[in-house]
Amino acid sequence: MITVPSHPKYLALVRAVTVKMGVQNKVDGSIVQQMEQAVDEACSNVIKHAYAGDPNKQIGVTLRLSRDAFEVIIEDSGRKADLASLKGRGLDEIRPGGLGVHFIKRACDVVELDEKKEEGNRLVLIKYLKVKRGNKDKRP
Amino acid sequence: MEIKIKDHEGAKIIAPSGDIDMYTSLEVRKKLLRLIDQKIPVIMVDLTDVTYIGSSGIATFVEGLKSMMSYSGRLKFFGITARVEEIFNFSKLDKVFDMYGSMEDAFKS
Repeated sequence: MITVPSHPKYLALVRAVTVKMGVQNKVDGSIVQQMEQAVDEACSNVIKHAYAGDPNKQIGVTLRLSRDAFEVIIEDSGRKADLASLKGRGLDEIRPGGLGVHFIKRACDVVELDEKKEEGNRLVLIKYLKVKRGNKDKRP
Repeated sequence: MEIKIKDHEGAKIIAPSGDIDMYTSLEVRKKLLRLIDQKIPVIMVDLTDVTYIGSSGIATFVEGLKSMMSYSGRLKFFGITARVEEIFNFSKLDKVFDMYGSMEDAFKS
């Protein structure tokens, strides 16, 4: 897990690590880009909503890549999010804000808030990877 | 992030470079709104060197577009990379943003 301060200037770092994880493991480029955006939007939401803009908190990001899935877990100790807040604005409604959730949902097959976490939030993002039959390449 | 502002025959070109995320969009917003405060009739956004745009960046441009409507100004985009275009399309903003292939096309329209 990497831990970064909840300052928006570290979003670039989290995106870079996400991209590196995908590229090193030969994940399809479009999936890497969408996961990069999902992680960026999720961490931005933590800063904005869970920490209400406080730059002195911590965000934990765990990246896992298996043969079947690209998984990212984002943890904070801020205000609890509820599942209803994971709905963005309608895409046809043209106004600033509310798009981040759509980028997260389009990138990931699973978007789940871990209800078992007592304090703060643990957001689990999973993108399942298509594995070609007979592919012997095993990712770490 | 570097943001260049250029004049072009009465219009202004704003050219950010790099990633536009929650952090860098603040600077883009500041510069864009400064131009809008001056009621510049045509502002062209050169996205040639923009490598990523997140929802905060999109929100900045939507806010700019709406602010310019108050004085019938026009916000136009050009130099859009495939990735940024795809993000605009997904957000359905290709229907509301004026997007052009080149600066000349954007200026002439």
